[in-house]
Amino acid sequence: MQFATVLGQNLRCGLSPVSLRTTLPTTSQLFGNSQDGSFPLTRHSVVLAAQSHDPAERSRAIEAIAAAYWKPVYKYVRMKWSIEREDAADFTQDFFTRLLEKEFLDAYDLRKGRLRTFLRTCADRLFMNQARNSKRLKRGAGSPHLPLDFEEAEQELATVSRCESPEDRFDKEWVRSLFALGVQRLRVSCENGGKMVQFRLFERCDLEDADPTPSYSQLADEFGLAVTDVTNYLAFARREFRRCILDQLREMTPTEEEFRCEAQALLGVPVR
Amino acid sequence: MTQLSDKVVARLQAEMQVPDLTGTRYHLVRYLARGGMGSVWLVEDTVLQRRLALKVLDLIAPTDDLAARLLQEGRILARLEHPGIVPMHDAGTLLDGRAFYCMKYVEGQTLTQHIPNKSLPDKLRVVERIAEPLDFAHARGFIHRDLKPDNVMIGAFGEVLVMDWGLAKVSASNLKPAENEIATVVLPTQNSLRVTGTGIVLGTPGYMSPEQARGDIAVDHRSDIFSLGAILWFMLTGSAPGELPVAAGSVPRPLRAICEKAMAADPRARYQSAQEMTADIANYRNEEPVSAYSESLLERAGRVFARHRTAIVLVAVYLLMRVLFILFEPR
Amino acid sequence: MNKVLLGLVLGAILGAIDGMTAWFTPAVRAQIAGIVIGSTIKGMIVGILIGGFARRVQSPVLGIAFGLALGLLLAFIVALMQHGYYFQIMLPGGIVGLIVGYATQRYGRGSQLQRT
Repeated sequence: MQFATVLGQNLRCGLSPVSLRTTLPTTSQLFGNSQDGSFPLTRHSVVLAAQSHDPAERSRAIEAIAAAYWKPVYKYVRMKWSIEREDAADFTQDFFTRLLEKEFLDAYDLRKGRLRTFLRTCADRLFMNQARNSKRLKRGAGSPHLPLDFEEAEQELATVSRCESPEDRFDKEWVRSLFALGVQRLRVSCENGGKMVQFRLFERCDLEDADPTPSYSQLADEFGLAVTDVTNYLAFARREFRRCILDQLREMTPTEEEFRCEAQALLGVPVR
Repeated sequence: MTQLSDKVVARLQAEMQVPDLTGTRYHLVRYLARGGMGSVWLVEDTVLQRRLALKVLDLIAPTDDLAARLLQEGRILARLEHPGIVPMHDAGTLLDGRAFYCMKYVEGQTLTQHIPNKSLPDKLRVVERIAEPLDFAHARGFIHRDLKPDNVMIGAFGEVLVMDWGLAKVSASNLKPAENEIATVVLPTQNSLRVTGTGIVLGTPGYMSPEQARGDIAVDHRSDIFSLGAILWFMLTGSAPGELPVAAGSVPRPLRAICEKAMAADPRARYQSAQEMTADIANYRNEEPVSAYSESLLERAGRVFARHRTAIVLVAVYLLMRVLFILFEPR
Repeated sequence: MNKVLLGLVLGAILGAIDGMTAWFTPAVRAQIAGIVIGSTIKGMIVGILIGGFARRVQSPVLGIAFGLALGLLLAFIVALMQHGYYFQIMLPGGIVGLIVGYATQRYGRGSQLQRT
């Protein structure tokens, strides 16, 4: 089973089985480690790999796409179609199953639009088809099942403003997912580089919800560092985080043009 | 996976735009604005202890094309030394790989902010002063290609500066066609981007000449003349060309004719230089004939009267007095 | 045309007009030729002096004031010689001086008073 292969890879990477209940593998975990024999996918090939005839390659690519898009899809259908959480969870699983089975991605033409827009449109069409035909994918015991934490998604959804449109929420969730994946990637990078202090500073200063954020002198006291070290370490971590995010995005976008447009959206820069 | 709140996501987004000035002589003060290709920040030069505006790309360009364009902009600015063109001081690459350049920090207002409540002669003088650096650049073979009210600053001393030469290029008339290629890189800026059948379009709708909007390769300095005419129109009516004008009815006919000539669809029908256009504007200000406008006899008489009204009134008063003396002089 | 020449021409024209209106006064109609010549010469003198003033002093207010004063002064001298008609001679004379004073400040080569 495809997911079992992924499961095996992640165990070798040191992730515990429990964490797999709540996390999907990052693209670097799926693709970056030449020691386990998997080839690293180049920037342009995640979407193309998802259209591949090779089931293993397709599976890895779909799971990378799912990592970035499952929450946006879940929250989007919950908001737009006002369906119950269980139905939304089923739908989300169904959606990525069909992606895995090439149903949607065969129709994707990278010249015609962004992947993000395409997936949202597919979600709409699938939902409308299912609603019209009252049909659901019958998923038997052998069907792939992605480990998605819908409970966490539901908790996050409770904080969303009712004035926000489902489309805006989809886009925001996409940004959030990519940033979360970027944080994972940064963590791995810092672990491998022996820079966990830098990562923890970054986590403490930039990832926590504290208001106001701790000052550099507070962080220096907390971590037993000089203020200049805090400044330098944070600068390093932020620089690395930026690189991780953009690398992540580059893997998810099939063309340079889409990468730049999506990067602008990711950075929150207005795009005409 | 780490749960990130909306607040944290917004904070991270903002941080990703902040330039990493580690290893440079600059210290970040605050965000200023977005420009073509990237963002602009106020920085302190720690060596010379002065404030500068630092423009940095949003992204690292894998093929160095955007970096090259930013540095190209810097080089153009460095070559165009004119009081009306913001001077450039430094250029390079940050530690995070993004290209940047530093220019004079202009404390003042954009044209959009400056012109409300200004008199017509003041507005016309501003347009004339925008034309000066344009003419200077055109004479050296450069065209701006993104002239618009937001790219014109009025400094603290009233100086007029043309900013954001990010889309500037060598004029088509100064290059062989093969050398004058349109950018092949798509720039996802808020200015500017559409893809047409003939190429990539750079510029701002409303202020962009038709040939530029089509993506024509042979765009020359007359495209800037179009934009200058659009700016004049904006200053007179309060709205960009193509938008519903706020006060079009109150625009004097000669000025309307100047705008129409500058914004003619055919570049050959426009003013052929910024100087030619400002000469007509000066004529209007001095109540002299405007070449773009054919005035009727009545309009000419009215203009002559307006120009010499004091003298005419004095002579009329004198003649009237003379007539009254004749009529009422005791016999 | 420079300011002095402008003053000369304008003073002459207005002085001549001034003189010609004397024809409507029957009492002096017989001396009309002398009056016109005298008035023209007076106007030319006034014009030259005011034009010279305008070359040195660029001030509309001062130019007008000087023209008015000079016009009145010369007109007074003429009226004195006529033993009368002070009002009829001095008022037009003053206005002519005023007009020439303004015109030489506003026009003429080297004019500083351009409309802005």
